[in-house]
Amino acid sequence: MKPLIELERVSKIYMGDGFETKALVDATLTVNKGEFVAIMGPSGSGKSTLLHVLGLLDRHTVGKYLLSGRNVENLTDDELANLRNEKLGFVFQSFNLLAKETVYENVKLPLFYSQIPKKDWAKRVNDAIAAVKLDHRKEYLVQKLSGGEKQRVAIARALVCNPEVIFADEPTGNLDSVSGQAVMDTLRDLHEKGATILLITHEPNTARNAERIIRIKDGLVVGDEKVVDRAKKGEAVK
Amino acid sequence: MTFSDSIHSAYKGLSTSKGRSLLTILGIVIGIMSIMIVMSLGAGAQRLILDQVDSLGSKIIFVSDSRQAGGPPQPTESLDDRDLTELRKKTNVPNANLVLASAFNAQRITYGSEAFDGAVQGITPEWERAFSLTPAQGDFISDDDVRSSAKVAVIGYTVRKELFPGEDPIGQIVKVKNNSFRVIGVLPEKGMLALFGYDQSIFLPISTFQNTILNAKNYGNFLIEVDDEKNINATVEDIKQTLRFTHNIQVGEDDDFEVQPQADLADRLGTITTGFSLFLIAVAAISLVVGGVGIMNIMLVSVSERTREIGLRKAVGATNKNILMQFLIEAIMLTGVGGIIGIILGGLFSYGAAQAIKQFSGLEWSFEFPIQGMIIGLLVAVSIGLVFGIYPARKAAQKSPTEALRYE
Repeated sequence: MKPLIELERVSKIYMGDGFETKALVDATLTVNKGEFVAIMGPSGSGKSTLLHVLGLLDRHTVGKYLLSGRNVENLTDDELANLRNEKLGFVFQSFNLLAKETVYENVKLPLFYSQIPKKDWAKRVNDAIAAVKLDHRKEYLVQKLSGGEKQRVAIARALVCNPEVIFADEPTGNLDSVSGQAVMDTLRDLHEKGATILLITHEPNTARNAERIIRIKDGLVVGDEKVVDRAKKGEAVK
Repeated sequence: MTFSDSIHSAYKGLSTSKGRSLLTILGIVIGIMSIMIVMSLGAGAQRLILDQVDSLGSKIIFVSDSRQAGGPPQPTESLDDRDLTELRKKTNVPNANLVLASAFNAQRITYGSEAFDGAVQGITPEWERAFSLTPAQGDFISDDDVRSSAKVAVIGYTVRKELFPGEDPIGQIVKVKNNSFRVIGVLPEKGMLALFGYDQSIFLPISTFQNTILNAKNYGNFLIEVDDEKNINATVEDIKQTLRFTHNIQVGEDDDFEVQPQADLADRLGTITTGFSLFLIAVAAISLVVGGVGIMNIMLVSVSERTREIGLRKAVGATNKNILMQFLIEAIMLTGVGGIIGIILGGLFSYGAAQAIKQFSGLEWSFEFPIQGMIIGLLVAVSIGLVFGIYPARKAAQKSPTEALRYE
């Protein structure tokens, strides 16, 4: 099977005034379609930088990155934006929802920037909301929802353009254990239906929801292992 | 993202802070409203003046003293009996149908204990025909009255109303500057003609006016009616030559009088009102610039407050152009709405002002909806949005998605 993500000796170096910071060093990894991978590491280890590079939110400094076989190095900002819209979905720790909009409007947001015909929008939004089991909250303003529900709205938004991979950056970080587990269950459901998920976390329990864990420390990939004892659904994540 | 989607998202962006949006556009509203009012009143004033000048007819030429600084023509040493006699000679001014002389003075008119501040005008009998001044009651001034400097007066409609309420004025004595005049005629309501309020005036034989009010044998101005419009320019020259001769003005010296056809006068008055309107519009434009800076300020605050939203939009696929358009449309929408509110308020206020002027001044003022002002106002408002919105919008568009998402 052709890998979805191929990273070959990729580094990200931030240039400051007279000094440079290596946030990611020679990272080499592949992620196949349909995998549920957790990227784990302590705070400041470079896992967010890795996610930003993989998610085309930031450009790597050296190395080679192929997304669905396409080298992303020389793409323009607009081409990267289109790729993010078509192929990638994001779930952030702090939800990043438009607080004064409804669940429906928030989930619809990526469609505004897509090539998907308008006539298909309603079905896509409804399907995405149904996938995270929030049909009953569709017309609610997101600011009225609980933390767990907000994160599920964010997951629905990530799903709406039918992406090839979903990046979840500490999705349970701002949630209590029950809500956190509900969010992880949602991600596992999606994975079971074929979605490729890249989960960033510093919590071993959360990482155990994945089928593979890539460990990162001081900008270096220090481990890549299959999860033997995968968490069962409903098991607390914290 | 389609244009209508951009408008939709800009609307959503603005509607989340309605109160602030409204306060932001206040400067634009006031600026556009001021421009509308100034243009409406300017157009109204211009229309009034031009109508008044036009009401004299296009065959009229005015002669006045060029040393006066505008305002109603005052009797001066410049125009006298000799001028009048020479101008009336067919050999001097062959195309003149009629040469009218008048002199004017603002005075207090009294009857018993009643007083009225009006105008006193010295005229000749030809005025009756020339300006349709046939009295509603009594007689007009006759040649005999002029010859004998009779102390008689024809009074205007308002003078009669103020001084003789419920009383027959004919035969009564009115006083001006301690001189007594017997009322021989009352004019019907005439309104204004050539910016002169006939209703607020009393008319004396010109000779009487010169002897009693002026104490000099001079005139304020001459009105000359030409037989045909095509002879106006030639007649202007004839008048100039005649007066230069009677005034003994040498070659190379300037005229001490002014000769103006009605059309020139209308043009000149039109230019003055337009100039004045432009000056006021320039003042109003300053408030638009201030308003524009206010818009830029608030848009910068908005961009800063919504940094994470910008990051999110970029993460889900918004291009730099999408973000630029969103914030630019927001700015244009703000100023556009400000412009529309300004136009509506400007229209209402200028209508109110026109009604008030009509009510309190008695002028034949008409409300002019400034369509030009409306178009200019809307274009200016949108341009301000564009000019002052582009900097904040570019700032928003250039934000890197990762930095924007990290923003606290």
